[in-house]
Amino acid sequence: MDNLQNVMAGFEVVLEPTNLLYCLVGVLIGMLIGVLPGLGPAATIAILLPLTYGIEPVTAIIMLAGIFYGAQYGGTITSVLLRLPGEASSVVTVLDGHALARQGKAGTALGIAAIGSFVGGTVAIVGLTFLAPVVASFALDFGPPEYAALALLGILLVSTIASGARVKALVAAALGLLLATVGRDAFTGTERFTFGSLDLADGIDFVPVAMGLFGLGEILYNLEERHRAVHAPGKVTNVWPSRSDLRESSGAVTRGSVLGFFLGILPGGGATIASMAAYAAEKKRAKDPSRFGKGAIEGVAGPETANNAAATSSFIPLLTLGIPANATMALMFGALLIQGITPGPQLVDQHPELFWGVVNSMYVGNILLLIMSIPLVGVFVRILRVRAAILAPITALITMIGAYTINNSVFDVLLVVVFGAVGYLMKKFGFEPGPLVLAFVLGSLLEESVRRSLLLFGGDPTGFVTRPISAVLLALFVVVAVWPLVQSARRRRPAQAPTPDREEASV
Amino acid sequence: MRLAHRRAVAGATAAVAALTLAACGGNVAGGTGGTEASSEFPSGPVTLTVGQDAGGSTDLIARALADGMSGDLGVSVPVVNRAGANGAVATQEVAGKPADGSNLVLLNASLITITPLAVSEDEAVSLDDVDVLKGLSQDDYVLVASKKSGFEDLDDLRAASGEVTYGTTGVGTGSQLAQAVLFAQAGIEGTSVPFDSGSPALTAVVGDQVQVATIQLGEAKPQIDAGNVVPLLAFSAERNQFLPDVPTAVEEGYDVPVSQYRALAAPKGLPEDVKARLVESVDAAVAEDAYTSFNENNLLTPHEISGEEVVEEWTALAEKYQDLTAEYDISLAE
Repeated sequence: MDNLQNVMAGFEVVLEPTNLLYCLVGVLIGMLIGVLPGLGPAATIAILLPLTYGIEPVTAIIMLAGIFYGAQYGGTITSVLLRLPGEASSVVTVLDGHALARQGKAGTALGIAAIGSFVGGTVAIVGLTFLAPVVASFALDFGPPEYAALALLGILLVSTIASGARVKALVAAALGLLLATVGRDAFTGTERFTFGSLDLADGIDFVPVAMGLFGLGEILYNLEERHRAVHAPGKVTNVWPSRSDLRESSGAVTRGSVLGFFLGILPGGGATIASMAAYAAEKKRAKDPSRFGKGAIEGVAGPETANNAAATSSFIPLLTLGIPANATMALMFGALLIQGITPGPQLVDQHPELFWGVVNSMYVGNILLLIMSIPLVGVFVRILRVRAAILAPITALITMIGAYTINNSVFDVLLVVVFGAVGYLMKKFGFEPGPLVLAFVLGSLLEESVRRSLLLFGGDPTGFVTRPISAVLLALFVVVAVWPLVQSARRRRPAQAPTPDREEASV
Repeated sequence: MRLAHRRAVAGATAAVAALTLAACGGNVAGGTGGTEASSEFPSGPVTLTVGQDAGGSTDLIARALADGMSGDLGVSVPVVNRAGANGAVATQEVAGKPADGSNLVLLNASLITITPLAVSEDEAVSLDDVDVLKGLSQDDYVLVASKKSGFEDLDDLRAASGEVTYGTTGVGTGSQLAQAVLFAQAGIEGTSVPFDSGSPALTAVVGDQVQVATIQLGEAKPQIDAGNVVPLLAFSAERNQFLPDVPTAVEEGYDVPVSQYRALAAPKGLPEDVKARLVESVDAAVAEDAYTSFNENNLLTPHEISGEEVVEEWTALAEKYQDLTAEYDISLAE
């Protein structure tokens, strides 16, 4: 089998010393920023993007991927020990993780989280290994109409399942769509919102936008919050969970792996949603739900497994279809573009060494993380003592220099500053930048695909529903769009809950 | 260098010798080149700006050329990517820099000959703003058909007139112009579907989303060789050496010679001696084995003509395309 050969070749790529080193660097950085509240993987990747410019594509993506899943490990530590979630995806871990810590079982909680993360991550990589080529083989059937439907579904999912207020997410997504229209029209050459500037002729570049919103915006926002002094416990004992703990959490780990894997693939899905869904699922399944919040080990195992599985599986749509499932994947998209590689259906065929190198690096990275996560807990917690007043200017400086180096353009630096301000204000008023960034990326895909489709159909829009894949995607779109309305209607009139005719709605 | 350092641990003498030799190598090359004409040029690095992103064919050509030039000039020749508006941003930027030979730009012919047909006048770039030093190579366009379409030659395509959808690599590109003119001359009716670049357009042909598309040969060749797409026609003036069995549009009786040419240029008003020295270093660079095999590997046909010939050729092409689009009432900007 050709694929098997490629998989093995991928391992060769990973085991090159440089790549191993960058994998280690990636997961270390990931863990580190996972521990630091406020600096998430998206921000870190945004800031580090320009640094990847000079390295080989495989190596760069291996490192960036390491940051993403490494952060899922790191976020747990502060959630458990300090009741301070380092990452959004570890917020629910606080509930039972910290309760366990207060009972003197911090080690158990961290141990289970590390094991769960490892299992979840590994299950997802195996899934990725087998599922990605299958998805990629369908990819040639993906024409403009399918991309249009997928982009539409993605934008809707991003703005509706995002954490936080739904209306605000929709507003942010709409702004992203609007920004995506800037630039020379790809079909007619007409200038749109460029104000005669050649810098805007190709539209607004994604990388400075992301660096501004996630990087600079995040730094500014965190500076405003006064950080209280952190008193980290010096030592954590008993990291190896007892046999009964393992038995109790094995079910949660299994369910978390599967749930996380599937939620990660969905556009708009990702680690945060997966961890929340897993927590809810565990609570629902438990014989005695009242234990949750008071130190239930499943409440740590489920979400921590799910967030790692999701972090890994969200690479599938990006690497096979070129569609980023969440904001971090949008940044990976940018990273690949910087390297001159367009993520899409041809990636597995044309760059097998990149594809399999990255996938297989995750096996290695997960093992590294498992080994590191327990003994290094004390070290990482101490990092929390670095004052924001020192950290913030340094990261801001790196961001600015980085923004310039990508395209040697002062205009890009200005963009970072502008979007940094926008990102700061958004955060301050409770808007998530994620939907904006994703809608920005998917917006041009949506517009171009719709117009391309209509050209192919000779102007007849029924083509969208007669092609099977796009029809299914559009039906899903309608279901997702209508579902909240149905739910609220049900809640209002529980006696006569109406079942909407979805078939009719989809036409 | 790193290797030499590592050796230094083992035997200092050997390392010193190696370093001296390496240093001498650089000096000798610089010395022999700049004998009489320009004793002071180059005094510092010569920056080569590319108007396309890193990794694309234009960028690769620039890097291959910069390698050779740096060896001959004895100074570093860094390649700087300044993408935007099909190279207009980079060209305008370099044109505004001092004409002392330390700033060069790699030009794509389409920016001069075709883009002006699609965008407004104040965004177009003119050859009057720069001094063209030397032509480099020619990258041919090939019309490919999907396997499912069943097209094997132009006649099949003509027979399908009316239902043909054809992919282009974008507005104001050679791909769009070549097909629009060919279809008009051959009386084929079809719908133009623009894609962002060559790669998605090619994917669309492989997946039969569009029946045909015109792609640069370097990009299309792997899929042609794999049998996933069928080459129908090349748009070069003469048969392409890498596609000896594929007829050209001109042979078939259609007057649409469209290729992507590349040339090296500098800001207007370069001193004669500096210009001569730069041309000399380009000549030295393109003569190197590394560069010629680069051309071959990337299916580029050398087209190393003088700067004056480039201006003449591109100006003539721009006029020809202008006339053709006017004659057949084609508007690239829809």
